[in-house]
Amino acid sequence: MTVTPDAPRLHRRAPVWWMILPALVLLVGFLILPYISIVVMSFREASTKAVYGDGFTLAHYTDVIADPFIWGIVWRTVRTALIVTVVTLLLGYPVAYHLARTRSRVASLLYICVISPLLVGLVVRTFAWMIILSNNGIANSWMKALHLIDRPIQLLNTPLGVTIALIHVFLPFVILPLLGNLQAINPEIALAGRSLGASRMRTFFKVTLPLSMPGIQAGSILVFVLSISAYVTPAMLGGSQGRTMAVLVVQYLVDNFRWPAGAALAIFMAVITLAILVVYLRLTARAMRRLP
Amino acid sequence: MTGSKTIWDYVFLALVTLIYIFLMAPILLVVVLSFSGGEFLAFPPEGFSLRWFGELFSNARFLSATLHSLQLAAVSAVVNGVIGTLAAIYVVRYAPARLTNPLRLLMSAPLLVPEILTAIALLFFFFELGIGNNYSIAIQTGHIIVTFPYVFLNVCSALFNFDRSQEEAARSLGAGGRMTFRRVTLPAIKPGVITGCLFAFVISFDIFNISLLLKPVGMNTLPLELFDYLRFNFDPTAAAVATLSILVTFVAVLIVDLTVGLRSLRF
Repeated sequence: MTVTPDAPRLHRRAPVWWMILPALVLLVGFLILPYISIVVMSFREASTKAVYGDGFTLAHYTDVIADPFIWGIVWRTVRTALIVTVVTLLLGYPVAYHLARTRSRVASLLYICVISPLLVGLVVRTFAWMIILSNNGIANSWMKALHLIDRPIQLLNTPLGVTIALIHVFLPFVILPLLGNLQAINPEIALAGRSLGASRMRTFFKVTLPLSMPGIQAGSILVFVLSISAYVTPAMLGGSQGRTMAVLVVQYLVDNFRWPAGAALAIFMAVITLAILVVYLRLTARAMRRLP
Repeated sequence: MTGSKTIWDYVFLALVTLIYIFLMAPILLVVVLSFSGGEFLAFPPEGFSLRWFGELFSNARFLSATLHSLQLAAVSAVVNGVIGTLAAIYVVRYAPARLTNPLRLLMSAPLLVPEILTAIALLFFFFELGIGNNYSIAIQTGHIIVTFPYVFLNVCSALFNFDRSQEEAARSLGAGGRMTFRRVTLPAIKPGVITGCLFAFVISFDIFNISLLLKPVGMNTLPLELFDYLRFNFDPTAAAVATLSILVTFVAVLIVDLTVGLRSLRF
């Protein structure tokens, strides 16, 4: 018998489509269909007797759009997410660059440093920041010891505290895509730039940085979406001042039982996120087209 | 890199070291404080003691929450281990070419959409189905959905790296389809399956948003219980709880590292 590359297929008797069936049922039945139910719920009428009334209405959307309080929270959420995205990129890029070039035994250890925060629960990591940022916490007592401040500055229950903690929480999400991207770039390309007389700085900005644009794009999108929709960290550290859209949505659903209004707000949040992503993708696509 | 090190190399190294410390310090801080002898969460801790772990283990709420979390995580890992592996084999091996990318996208979807939105979607959906928050089926389904891509993507990458000529060799030696699968394919992709399942376990153990919106009345998971505890208390017992949850994670990561190596992870 000769072995052709198709041999296993010829031997196959039973159809194999059943292999994908359980996963399809799971994802279509319990992810796609439920997402549709958010849309449906957002058009339901409010009711005082049940979680929603009989009819359908657009009122929840007009309420959201007409409410300056909600726009304030939208602006704060988007601003926080943008700051977190930029800072995680600035901090994550050097780490990814370093890790991609480290060949020694410490590489595994450093890799663990990057992924372990990712595996430790969000509540635990945010709790750590509560300890650090509280009025008599570590940040304040060290700043006082260094004579940077006289009195403790309020970090907990402020947007600043939320921003600091989110930067830590999402930093690995920007490092990992960048790491994969940088490892895939052939180091000889940078060497070629160097041998042609370019300085190390120039080589980095003209060769390595443009080539790592896909990693930058993937990482920043991930962090931005995660920051916009983050619930745990703003809920634990934000107080009423640092409230974000996700916190407000959960408040609608869990505390006030205003499900249709909460659904409309959730969709509003998703639409704003998508709109910003579309603009971002257009801008970065233009920048990437100029690549050599 | 060529040439000798300049001052900038050292500046860069110092900067990167600071960022590594920034990544790890908060977690190490929590672990250190859980062994504190003092009453408060202050650094440096006052002395060393295990009393806060004693507090933790005499707290029935934390214990039952831990058991719930372990159970949810174990079921998620096992269920996804089966359906995620089957799906990955189908998508990589047998799916018609034009379906491969749409299927991969669909199978990774839970990772691409915000967890809070998935939680809201499932809350409404199970309510409409009439199941509501009375049974743990809603929360368990949520955990399975969110952790599914970790198994799927890990098995996919194991399949891509696997040389198919081994299967053809087995076939040419007379092994049937099932035999080849069990004796050749499955052992070869085992690292991917193990990594995927352990990841599903670890992620499920820490899931918050899904649990918050879908938990049955009277049931709590460990992250939820810690969240609730911190609303009214701020003492080293919370650090002990956090350390316990970090321990569960690290045991799982250690198993991955010892069996298949950490570098094989896929996100």
